[in-house]
Amino acid sequence: MKGLLRYLALLAVVMLVAAACSSDDTDSETDTTAAATETTAAATETTEAAPDTTAAPATTAPPTEKIDIDFWVAFSDEARLGFANDRAAEFNEGHPDYNVRVTSFASYNDVFDAAILAVDSGEPPGLIHFFEAATRQALDAVDGDGNPIFKSVTDAIAGRTEILGEPVVLDSVVDAARNYYTVDGSFYSMPWNTSTTVMFNNMDMLNEAGITEPPATWADVETACAAVMALDDAPSGCITWPNHSWFVEQTLGQQGELLGSADNGRSGRATEVYLESAGMMNYLNWWKSLDDAGYYTYTGLQRDWDGTSNAYLAGEVAMLVYSSSDTTFFDTNAEFTNVASFMPSDQDVDYVGNLIGGATIWMLDGMEATTEDGALAFLNFFSNPANAAAWHQLTGYIPITQDAVDLLDSEGWYDESPNSKVASDQLAAAANTPASLGALLGNFVGIRDIITIAIEDILVNDLDVATRMADAQAEAQKSLDEYELLFSG
Amino acid sequence: MLIFGLVVAALLGLLYVRLNIETRSLQRYAIGSAVAVAGAAIPTLAMGRCGFAEGTSGVDHLLSLTLMWGAGWIALIALRSFFDRADGKAKESAAMAGEIRTGGYRMGWWVPWVLLSPTLIILIVFLYYPAVQTFTLSTKLTRLGAPKTVDVCFSNFTELLVLNPVKLVAYPLIAVAVIYGARFWMNHSSPGTWSRKGADVASVIGMLSIFVAMFLMFSPGGGGQVDYRDVYVNTLIITLGIVAFGMIGGLAVAYLAFRKIRGGSAYRTLLIWPYAISPAVAGVLFFMIFDPTAGIFTHGMEVVFGIDVPNYRESAVLAQASIILASGWKILGYNILFYLAGLQTVSTDQVEAAVIDGASSWQRFYKIVMPALSPITFFLLVTNLVYAFFEVYATIDFMTKGAPAGKTSIAIYEIIRVGVNNGDLGRGAAQSVLLFAAVIAITLWQFRTTGSKVSYGGA
Repeated sequence: MKGLLRYLALLAVVMLVAAACSSDDTDSETDTTAAATETTAAATETTEAAPDTTAAPATTAPPTEKIDIDFWVAFSDEARLGFANDRAAEFNEGHPDYNVRVTSFASYNDVFDAAILAVDSGEPPGLIHFFEAATRQALDAVDGDGNPIFKSVTDAIAGRTEILGEPVVLDSVVDAARNYYTVDGSFYSMPWNTSTTVMFNNMDMLNEAGITEPPATWADVETACAAVMALDDAPSGCITWPNHSWFVEQTLGQQGELLGSADNGRSGRATEVYLESAGMMNYLNWWKSLDDAGYYTYTGLQRDWDGTSNAYLAGEVAMLVYSSSDTTFFDTNAEFTNVASFMPSDQDVDYVGNLIGGATIWMLDGMEATTEDGALAFLNFFSNPANAAAWHQLTGYIPITQDAVDLLDSEGWYDESPNSKVASDQLAAAANTPASLGALLGNFVGIRDIITIAIEDILVNDLDVATRMADAQAEAQKSLDEYELLFSG
Repeated sequence: MLIFGLVVAALLGLLYVRLNIETRSLQRYAIGSAVAVAGAAIPTLAMGRCGFAEGTSGVDHLLSLTLMWGAGWIALIALRSFFDRADGKAKESAAMAGEIRTGGYRMGWWVPWVLLSPTLIILIVFLYYPAVQTFTLSTKLTRLGAPKTVDVCFSNFTELLVLNPVKLVAYPLIAVAVIYGARFWMNHSSPGTWSRKGADVASVIGMLSIFVAMFLMFSPGGGGQVDYRDVYVNTLIITLGIVAFGMIGGLAVAYLAFRKIRGGSAYRTLLIWPYAISPAVAGVLFFMIFDPTAGIFTHGMEVVFGIDVPNYRESAVLAQASIILASGWKILGYNILFYLAGLQTVSTDQVEAAVIDGASSWQRFYKIVMPALSPITFFLLVTNLVYAFFEVYATIDFMTKGAPAGKTSIAIYEIIRVGVNNGDLGRGAAQSVLLFAAVIAITLWQFRTTGSKVSYGGA
């Protein structure tokens, strides 16, 4: 009996080892159905909102050597990562010579650090997904020999209108995104998920308090909050938003206030940061007054996207200033009438414009021509009108090309979900000035942290705004000085 | 100043030989001095004497000198072992080495090294080399992906300290003086007198004076300095809270669970479970309990009692208490496990004798059980301290992220926030070196003091 058991155990071990060691790449061996036609056809077809893989008769034999293109994405949730995976699979079917591989990372910083290390070790990816605030950092990043890591997409496309059968969509990117990522006259990277701040209003609660329109100005917000908090079943707070530096930058853009020197870093390198500007003081004092009056609810964590959205959905606040990237999420999950509106601005200051947020896809330099063409083709396929429209409908990030906007319009999408139009409208209303485009600063992540820590300090410890921001200004300037010391000259 | 440092190092060498080496000769004195000077010179020259360059302040000089003399002292310790071997002072390892060469299993001196080499290689590649890199990084200003790194000498360290070299020397000296003074008083007073009671108080004050001295040595922030006093105080509070809660709670629960009750073994098994989860999960669990919007506890209180529980992230006390609760709860299982094992070694004869003699339950616990548990307590103290210093990061990240305004940002949290999230590798490395030195000092002190009070074995 013992001998039998030993024999069975040995067999089990051998089977396990054999199973583990067997190769498991199943995608390259299966028959591929050519789906290249459906991508270009979808641009002209207006009946479908989401691209379906229409199986056309295949003419392919299993390819021998595929060119791998690594696409590193900073999403790890099923919906958004799944979108990237699906598009990559479609592209691979349509372009059998290429194999776009999507790898997911937990955060933008993880992707960037991994990319730098990969470049240094000689095995860089092809495309990486990186957020807007680190644009300066991405432009400055160099490998061990001092060569820039990223290559401008515009330069790589070099005026072509079609790459490997994919029409070039770079020219029809919406102005706000194009202008943000254009540095030194060159449109550097392909924006993917672009959003802006919008305010979500619980109209049921507001109507109950006698407010019929979503507040548009700071004064309107105060009036609305006074009314809401005077209700018998008043919620615990009236308005909330995450303590994230992005909202601060948005109000600076609204007020036409610069955050960095050299026109927010757009006409040269920004060597100074302005954390004590009039616009900054104005906004922070207003924010603190809302907090003191009990209108603003601070959830206690910095950059608390989850806590604030939970508070809004649970009915603990009436208004939520948030990113438009979750419009679909709120529309689906709100159990009340959810209306999106422009982010409120100061009625005493002329409105200049709100900025974009989000991330873009950077292309690594140093790839061979065929690989680069494949990467460019994927970039343009990824944001072709049908895909860009599908991405918008899935999430709430704005349709990144004008063609996608037109496509959605013609399908009546905006009539179905009017909330989705707000973000695009707000960006279209922005004046195209350096202040409303947003800043390109070195160490922007660190400076953003300095801002949010200072704000938390002000809110929680009830400090004076001017004194606390003076400390923050010194810290931020020092941080920027060190960045400039390391990266320029 | 460099010459001054080297001269003092030479004198240190002479002094060391005088105090620690048994057979002394002029030659040995000379070697001692030379080794001390060489040990002092190596790190200074490796850093390009930047500690003494133009424009450096008194604190830079102080740190440079400390580094020199510390390196010299380490070189002297190595020299001493060399002298001891030359003197034929057979240590146990040498005796064993002798056995290897003469016994039945004869091998060369290189055999142990070959057998150890796999472990050594892994240790060197993954532990020692990164440690050396951390030390070198701490003197630089650098970021990942930057085209150059800038050498900043000690400025990453001086940012954390008070910029007054006199204070930096005076405070620790005063603390040491208080400790030795208390010890002197203790030795010269007889038990039971007021003098002895005074000496007890003085020794407690001596212990506290170290913490106070360190508090005063770290900078309070402002003017380009980092507010490291805040981090220090938070680390102290949270670490001591976790260790106290974890160990006292663990002992209490283990003592209660050790009795013969029905289902006792089931209870004991269930009590150990928190040990199996990771600190991150503990953080998420307590987040789900205490979160003001989504938390079970807060919602329950609101619905059942109508009490509005304050947001634990808005008050420093509540935030620290919640971290202590979450981390202490997690390590409770570990402590209970070991204390249950330890309670089995308590001699039942002694307990019975004490019962017969009329000792109360508390006296039995205090005089018999606790001394028997002293080896376990010592071990758990070390382990809990390591846990509280390093592994609590995940819990803090999930529960408060250093809120409110940095009040739950302990040393390890600051290191990761500055070094990894912010990308400032130099400053992160410098704080890492500081934490490393602190933990080494604590462990050494622990082994010297508490280790001697541990009673292994029977009565």
